Amino acid sequence: MTITTATKIPPSTHEFATVIHRLEAGGAMLPDTPENLMQIIGLYKAYAVPMDFYWRDLLYIAEQVFLDPLPAFKYFLPQEYLDLANHYAGDDADLRIWQKGAASAHPELLEFMEKGRSAKMPKIFHHLLHDRINMEFAEACMQAMYWQRGMGGQFDPYLDTEEYKQNADRAIKAYFKGNPAMLGLYKLFPEMFIEQVRQMSYYSNLGLFWEVMAPVFFEMSDLYDAGKIKSVPDAMNFLVNGIFAVAGRPIYHHVYIRGELFEIIPKSCGFTWLYEAALPYVEAVFYRTAPFRGTKSYNAQAEQVPGEQKDFHYGILYADVNPVGSAGIPPTLLMDDMYHFLPQYLLDYYEQHCRGKDDMLIQLGVSFQRSMYCVTSAVIQALRGALLYPLDDPNPLHLQANRDFFESQIDRFKRPEARLRDIQSQEYR
Amino acid sequence: MTWLWASVKTYSFAQPTALLNPLSIVLNNSMPNIVEIAVSNDSFTTLVAAVQAAGLVEALQSPGPFTVFAPTDEAFAQLPPGTVQTLVQNPPQLARILKFHVVMGKLTQADLARLKTVTSLEGSMIPVNCENNVFEVKNATVVAADIEADNGIIHVIDRVILMG
Repeated sequence: MTITTATKIPPSTHEFATVIHRLEAGGAMLPDTPENLMQIIGLYKAYAVPMDFYWRDLLYIAEQVFLDPLPAFKYFLPQEYLDLANHYAGDDADLRIWQKGAASAHPELLEFMEKGRSAKMPKIFHHLLHDRINMEFAEACMQAMYWQRGMGGQFDPYLDTEEYKQNADRAIKAYFKGNPAMLGLYKLFPEMFIEQVRQMSYYSNLGLFWEVMAPVFFEMSDLYDAGKIKSVPDAMNFLVNGIFAVAGRPIYHHVYIRGELFEIIPKSCGFTWLYEAALPYVEAVFYRTAPFRGTKSYNAQAEQVPGEQKDFHYGILYADVNPVGSAGIPPTLLMDDMYHFLPQYLLDYYEQHCRGKDDMLIQLGVSFQRSMYCVTSAVIQALRGALLYPLDDPNPLHLQANRDFFESQIDRFKRPEARLRDIQSQEYR
Repeated sequence: MTWLWASVKTYSFAQPTALLNPLSIVLNNSMPNIVEIAVSNDSFTTLVAAVQAAGLVEALQSPGPFTVFAPTDEAFAQLPPGTVQTLVQNPPQLARILKFHVVMGKLTQADLARLKTVTSLEGSMIPVNCENNVFEVKNATVVAADIEADNGIIHVIDRVILMG
């Protein structure tokens, strides 16, 4: 689609005018090059496999592990959750647009869970050797959402309502039935328990969010392999359509205690995937999060850390991949997870650049950053589509409103840490 | 409001829009209610189906009064594939989107021009722009205004409006 916005309104004078004009022409923040397309699609595929574990385990923890005070086995996904049918994959999918493949856990994931990178052995040894999916990354994303809170939507305010507290109270009492010690503690410190339930609700929120994203990313990889996604805008538009298609998917929190269902957040609340999960997720994880421990020292009194949480800028769109690639911190855990599932074309590509195998995690991290700039572009274009006007709107005032929206979004990348400048060049690796 | 949405503003648009009233014929007889008007018009097939799926028929037949911004079939057709299907599968979520199109009280174009912003039954605000001969509700244009019903008033819009 060629859009001729430039002839209807004067060119943008924004610092990132090239990017603004690209967005107005239906493009993404990421330049449309075959190299960029290969990197982002390869990373979506590598991300989708661990994500298939993340969403299943997030729901398992939210629904079954729940308030276990010593949840030592929460990463030991039971067969029931490996078989759990993804609502958006398989032949019985709610929406038959990404239904290719089975709705149960992905074969590559099952193979990795069985063998790890070492050898086939009982699950406990894989766990202790840390030869497994780094579920800690998924929990860090959940914690980022929970810690930031208040990022729009009705889900978060609902957690402070009396109705929610009553639902949580019923579940807490049922869960600790016959356990006078825990019930006594609950009586003494009720808010502490409610707070844990709120965290569990965010586990559910993120699990339901990623349940959608995993098949979307698998499908994008398949379409690219089949030559049906040919450009970065193709990839972005696939995501935009996906965002709309599942926008109304319910976000809820169900808990199963001794087989009985407790609706802590019922579906009837009307919470939706777009407003209550996707947008808060992007805001919390892509933009804000918090500085990762051990990566850099900040002096808060010298205002090196923003005074307002809304101004935090430690997400993937701002990350310096080198220090963030330090051992043990969430983004590195994800990079390590994705490393196991990279398609061959990306392994070959990374071998040719920088230090080849030695810094593949860093190269992969930069590609991931590019892929998330594409996802963020899709979110920005979807919001423009939902709240503003078509890119080919004949009314110049509508086009100006679109322009102002794009510029205000891109303003967030003016700060020096933002990687928008870097990803414009292929030399950023 | 999400920070991502925070920069979306409303603007004054000078382009004139012709206000059509294809349903005025209905007004000649005894006053039908909002649902009856929608059902009797071929342009609201999707809207009527959505209202039924969301279980809002009874509510919209109640005395109200309500102001309804009613998207046409063409407005729903502009949404990407799957959007309406997912909503119809999930009535509470569908009801929420539909409630964003309803305001308590009977508000004519003149009333809305004065108010500039109204609160939807969903809880979110809806900006209205009636300056310079246009009548826009959020990012939708009103194609038929002030269709009176027994229990409120309908303004027909050319796009499904969404919260944010």
